Amino acid sequence: MIQFKKISKIFYPKTVAVKDINLSIRPKEFVSIVGQSGAGKSTLIKLLTSQLKPNSGQIIVGGWDITDIKAKEIPLLRRQIGVVYQDFKLLPSKNIYENVAFALEVCGVPNKRINSVVPQVLKIVGLKEKAGHYPDQISGGEIQRAAIARALVHRPKILLADEPTGNLDSLNTKDIIDLLLKINEFGTTIMLVTHNKDVVNRIKKRVVLMDHGEIISDQEEGKYIL
Amino acid sequence: MFASTFRVTKFALQDFFRNFWLSLVTLTILVLALVTVNLLVIFNVVAKTAINTIEDKVDISIYFKSEISEDQVMNVQKYIQGLAQVKSVDYISKEQALENFKNKHQDNPKIIQSVEEIEKNPLGASLIIKAKNSSDYPAVLDILQTPQYNNLIESKDFDDHKTVIEKINGITQKVGRSVIIIALVFALISILIIFNAIRMAIYTHREEIFAMKLIGATDWFVEGPFLLQGVIFGIMSMVITLLILYPLLGFIRPYLQLILEGDFNIVKYFNQNFLLIFGLELLGAILLNLISSYIAVKRYVKV
Ligand SMILES: Nc1ncnc2c1ncn2[C@@H]1O[C@H](COP(=O)(O)OP(=O)(O)OP(=O)(O)O)[C@@H](O)[C@H]1O
Ligand SMILES: [Mg+2]
Repeated sequence: MIQFKKISKIFYPKTVAVKDINLSIRPKEFVSIVGQSGAGKSTLIKLLTSQLKPNSGQIIVGGWDITDIKAKEIPLLRRQIGVVYQDFKLLPSKNIYENVAFALEVCGVPNKRINSVVPQVLKIVGLKEKAGHYPDQISGGEIQRAAIARALVHRPKILLADEPTGNLDSLNTKDIIDLLLKINEFGTTIMLVTHNKDVVNRIKKRVVLMDHGEIISDQEEGKYIL
Repeated sequence: MFASTFRVTKFALQDFFRNFWLSLVTLTILVLALVTVNLLVIFNVVAKTAINTIEDKVDISIYFKSEISEDQVMNVQKYIQGLAQVKSVDYISKEQALENFKNKHQDNPKIIQSVEEIEKNPLGASLIIKAKNSSDYPAVLDILQTPQYNNLIESKDFDDHKTVIEKINGITQKVGRSVIIIALVFALISILIIFNAIRMAIYTHREEIFAMKLIGATDWFVEGPFLLQGVIFGIMSMVITLLILYPLLGFIRPYLQLILEGDFNIVKYFNQNFLLIFGLELLGAILLNLISSYIAVKRYVKV
């Protein structure tokens, strides 16, 4: 589903964020990426959404070589990927329903379908009652669930989550992780970047450990070791 | 494409009302700029009209010797009329001159009497020449100076106008130049202010733009609402400007009429040039908004 082949990303003048990375993720897999701050985890995510271009190597997403993707095709790529960030803001001028619907409107989905899909997704993330609330009227955990709903609503095959639980308490964190596991069970490939040791140990899925831009361990059913 | 155009319109309107205060600030700045542009237009019209009024009072009177026949005078009139610089030549016959003279001295029986005592009309015919531009008078005078005409002429009445004309020419040029400079400086300032107001408005949306792009929105989908808003701002500011301007014109109209004499009507002037003045202003406002919005959004769209 996702393949990094000898990927390097160097920030001018000489910060090596990611170095000769080889990583292959199968469809429906759940992979946790862990590692110290500055290890290159977010860089990996941004390379997948084409926010960053690699200096060398090859990236393939769902059989599509996006290494030299044209600017015009980037929207198409992003519509096949859902992204959730720790501080990936919802649009403050739109309520929760509109925020989620927006991801579909952007893709040109007809209104009829939007009206049927959005309530379903809001129900999955448990925000049906808050649909009319604006982002500043709900809690951090709810915002993050709304962000996941937005990332999921167009049924992407891949969900990228960069520290989605970064500023949540343990109860909300558990909620989010359970939600991600549920989504994974439905068949979505998930790449989760996290600092949270408990989270990784609880998930009991593949763990990739990065350090200074390199992968130093890759274990099925891994534990968080530093 | 149709659905996305509809959505772009929806988002543009939604954003306008949900960010009402910011919209209001941008709109106010636009209206202020447009009102000031129109004040400049008024100033320009008033200055030009004032100069025209004074210029219109300037003329050359040439008085022919009394023995010169009407035919000869007519010939001169014809010739002068044919000059490129000349706007009009009025002929005043001997009889008319006498009539005017009598009217002028109605209250002075002595003069009237002495005129009536002379049987022959002592006055000559005269021509009143108006040039198209005050700067043309010297050339006309030069022509009249040639012996061919000078011999027929008793006296010319222009010298006392000469300084006035020079002054007017000076004023006309200065006013023209300063209006252009003021207009240019002002245009530059308003462009900067409006550009910055729009940049500010779009800056507050940068996270939104970023989010849209990450969801997979095309550039057009992100830019569209902002561009459309630019057009809406342009139209709204023009309408508000008209609502402010016309009462203002009505208010200053009597005063201008007093200052400028004659039947000068500023409201009528704007009505007659409505499409030209406001069409250009509207076009300018919309273009400025579109360009500013486009440049401002482009910065954040590249994610
Ligand atoms: N835009 C950038 N310009 C220059 N250097 C950058 C840029 N983004 C990231 N870096 C550098 O690249 C390296 C990897 O950054 P990255 O964000 O991938 O780390 P990370 O593993 O996500 O860290 P964290 O856990 O703190 O989020 C760091 O040394 C960082 O300083
Ligand atoms: Mg990071």
